Amino acid sequence: MAHLAHYKQAHPLPMKVTHWVNLCCMALLIFTGFLIHFPFWAALTGVARGVHVFCGIILVLNCIVRIVLSFLLTSSPTGGTRNMVRDFKTYLPQADNKHQLIPWIKYYLFIKKDHPLSAKLGVPQKLSYLFVCLLIFIMGYTGFCLWVPTASWTFFAAGTSLVGGMMSMRIIHYFLMFVFICFSMIHIYLVFIEGTANAANMLAGKEHGGLVYDPERHCIIGEDHSVDAH
Amino acid sequence: MVTEATSPEFLAKLEARGVSRRSFMKLCGSLAVAAGLSELAAPRVAAAIENSVIGAESGKLFPVIWIEGASCTGCTESFAQGDAPDPAYIVLEMISLNYCETLSAAAGWSMEEAKEQTIEAGNYILIYEGAVLEGWDGQALRVANEPGTDILAHAAKNANAVVALGSCAVNGGWMAAHPNSANALGVQGFLKKQGIDTPVINIPGCPANPEWVTSVLVDVLLVGQLPELTSENKPKVTFNQTVHDNCQRRGHFENGEFVYAFGTPEEAAGYCLYPMGCRGPMVKANCGIVRWNRRRSWCVESGGPCIGCCVANPDNPGENWVETNTPFRARFRDLRIGGAMVQPEAIAWTVTGILAAALVVHGFGMKKAGRTDGGAPFEKEREWDMKHPNESIGIYTLDDNSKGGN
Repeated sequence: MAHLAHYKQAHPLPMKVTHWVNLCCMALLIFTGFLIHFPFWAALTGVARGVHVFCGIILVLNCIVRIVLSFLLTSSPTGGTRNMVRDFKTYLPQADNKHQLIPWIKYYLFIKKDHPLSAKLGVPQKLSYLFVCLLIFIMGYTGFCLWVPTASWTFFAAGTSLVGGMMSMRIIHYFLMFVFICFSMIHIYLVFIEGTANAANMLAGKEHGGLVYDPERHCIIGEDHSVDAH
Repeated sequence: MVTEATSPEFLAKLEARGVSRRSFMKLCGSLAVAAGLSELAAPRVAAAIENSVIGAESGKLFPVIWIEGASCTGCTESFAQGDAPDPAYIVLEMISLNYCETLSAAAGWSMEEAKEQTIEAGNYILIYEGAVLEGWDGQALRVANEPGTDILAHAAKNANAVVALGSCAVNGGWMAAHPNSANALGVQGFLKKQGIDTPVINIPGCPANPEWVTSVLVDVLLVGQLPELTSENKPKVTFNQTVHDNCQRRGHFENGEFVYAFGTPEEAAGYCLYPMGCRGPMVKANCGIVRWNRRRSWCVESGGPCIGCCVANPDNPGENWVETNTPFRARFRDLRIGGAMVQPEAIAWTVTGILAAALVVHGFGMKKAGRTDGGAPFEKEREWDMKHPNESIGIYTLDDNSKGGN
């Protein structure tokens, strides 16, 4: 039981909602995207286009909402604590993360045996989440470059021309989808490889006992199992 | 409002050519449509023709120079297949084709002289068919002791407008495809390099549809102005909607009825050719409206998926229809990696497959390391902190309050 305790404060309800929206939209976008690229399920292709555009717009809006929420709401800066800080700070470098990128990489390469101390998000995790945020906007942009009603807007047409036309834009859009797929594969793998407590907390709000971390002292200070179901 | 062509002299002239008043008005209707007006504008067009230099008793015809660049003459052939021979004849009579390698009866010095006189007089249209070859100092198209590039620059300078006819003339077409050893490019790109600012009207296509040429000529000769153009200087009336927008198989696309292989019942039923690589949704041209070969049929109607022959970015010879669309039957173009041609799908799935395999292997490693049940035990102290006790991030013992938290 080397987990930090999982408290609700790690992911307040609005963040759980935006996460669910991300999950649903991305899953639908990937499925309908493949269907639009090649109609392997002919009867669904008409619906797929509508769903694809709808989910694409929602995904971009959701990303904006999530960014705004990170400035409005608070969440816990690390696992194993009910302390709260402004949520956006948990996406920026924290003292708890300092000097921990190399140890994380060494841990996952099995060079380092013990689990690195960390903030709520580890260094590679922070980098990849910020990257995905950027990716959503780029993906949205390339999507609007391809969508007929917006493709001729100067803002989008200029990008299409820059990359060498519609075909190139389609290929970029397609490759970026695979970046999402690869991200999701790694994301899901890392969430579940050390147990289901993380996912249960993010998706269902289930609390889970474990080690207690002090964000002031930046280290583990004890253990709390009072929230565990008996 | 003028409702009919009334000039008896003009009608007599038409009749002398075997054209009835009725068929003349029909022509005016199609000319109006070609010029992007409603068919109701036919009387206006008729009046314009009557009053123009064409209808005038002793008027001179509008001079046109038609130069073949690096072309297959396919666009000329296509133009010759214009709908309804009588009107086409008149359309040809509307202009004075002072120079045309393919059609001129004259040859040699006398023809070159006619061209030179036309250029000097000015007020003419230049139609340039085929790519501009900058390679070998333009010598590949040397005619009448002059490099091909010089011929174009010279003829374009004095023209009212240059019509770049066919995808090759727009941006080099297939000649600009990799490796483009002849340094092919389009008229607009070439003139820009030369600092010649004569307006260019781009009419892509391989070949260009005769009606697209006609519509431009109608605009210039009758309406007396250049047609409204897109950002790529292509006539809006022709190139502002996708092939897909006006495709007669579009209903099947919406229904999800597709052809997945040739020789199938789906093909016989005339279903949508999207899975066969049809480029219709990303190519702008009104092929489905004007149709081809005297309006008999066109690619998609005859069962051939669109291969996107109208894709031509005048400012980028690399964005030519062959480079961006081959292989035509695949949904994507091939990407060139070194000398190999690879489909984007193959690249994407390979990378994803390798990642999936790596995660599986890593998963077994995590299992073996005993981390799958809550992860490995936490480090007591950060590695860095252990090496730098004076700058330690964590405050691991309570009697050490002087450090940490930076």
